Amino acid sequence: MVLFYTDLWCVPMVWAVDLVEAEPVTAARSHKKAYIYHDITQYFVPVVLSRGFSRSTRSLKNRVPDAQKVFQEDNGLPVHIKGGTVDVVMYRATMTLTLGGTCYSIYWLLKASLPQNKP
Amino acid sequence: MAHQAHAYHMVDPSPWPLTGAVAALLMTSGLAMWFHYNTTTLMILGTILLLLTMYQWWRDIVREGTYQGHHTPPVQKGLRYGMILFITSEVFFFLGFFWAFFHSSLAPTPEIGGCWPPTGITPLDPFGVPLLNTAVLLASGVTVTWAHHSIMEGERKQAIQSLALTILLGGYFTFLQAMEYYEAPFTIADSVYGSTFFVATGFHGLHVIIGTTFLAVCLLRQINYHFTVEHHFGFEAAAWYWHFVDVVWLFLYISIYWWGS
Repeated sequence: MVLFYTDLWCVPMVWAVDLVEAEPVTAARSHKKAYIYHDITQYFVPVVLSRGFSRSTRSLKNRVPDAQKVFQEDNGLPVHIKGGTVDVVMYRATMTLTLGGTCYSIYWLLKASLPQNKP
Repeated sequence: MAHQAHAYHMVDPSPWPLTGAVAALLMTSGLAMWFHYNTTTLMILGTILLLLTMYQWWRDIVREGTYQGHHTPPVQKGLRYGMILFITSEVFFFLGFFWAFFHSSLAPTPEIGGCWPPTGITPLDPFGVPLLNTAVLLASGVTVTWAHHSIMEGERKQAIQSLALTILLGGYFTFLQAMEYYEAPFTIADSVYGSTFFVATGFHGLHVIIGTTFLAVCLLRQINYHFTVEHHFGFEAAAWYWHFVDVVWLFLYISIYWWGS
């Protein structure tokens, strides 16, 4: 999950940086360091190709295999909270708004459905 | 270590359908509260909840596909059918507004002068900014196709550049259209002409913004190595949606801007 958020800050670097790969990722090459999702999918993932150690190229490293490890861990967590603490915080905030909002909405709807007290 | 003996995706229990439904409730009842009690709290709460739901739901789909490998060929086929059916429903949505336009413009009533455009309405010059907008969207259709071919050929840098260019063109269209709205000599309140013009082009503009956002998410995913040469359906769905937006504009331009002037 941390990977997901930090990756977003790489966008401004794109235009300024000489991008990482020296050659296109072909189907044949991507088999070399493939991380298999699980038996039945037969998909391969982009290979990590890095050639420099500058700050910007390091930030454009392929972090998909790391994310795959996190989200394929056999810990019984559902996908919406499997990323970590931020997931749980966001879920709780969303559910609080959901339940609170439902009560607030029903309160206003009931109020609106009652006869208006006109002077 | 497969736990299933089939290629389909049995999703984990998820709270987002519920939160999305509640967001719809809050937005609609909030709209009523705004109209009758002059309070926007409920509506704003609903909008925030909707944004949270969309973000987390689509984040989870990316996780299920890219990180967990659940988007096998049969699953992807279902996603394709789903996107096609959704776009078809949007086509029908716009068909309604085109129906309204032709209903009023093919048989103009005496109340508006018996002519189209109605008496007193100065329509926009179809060969001015609207023509530029047409060129911008057509060009963006080319650049998004370029991006697709780049992804399919493993040309990462070109894919990023062409996708970014598509997004810039989409933003340029939105900017130009906003300027046109500001400078237009007629408003939405100016008879049925204003109504049909601004509702049809307004919903189209909203779809351009949605499509641009979808492409921007694809750009972020492309930068982060989510797409592979053979599997990049998220991008294809965004490209389909973008072509749909482009085609709707072409119909709008021909019928409302050009024929309707």
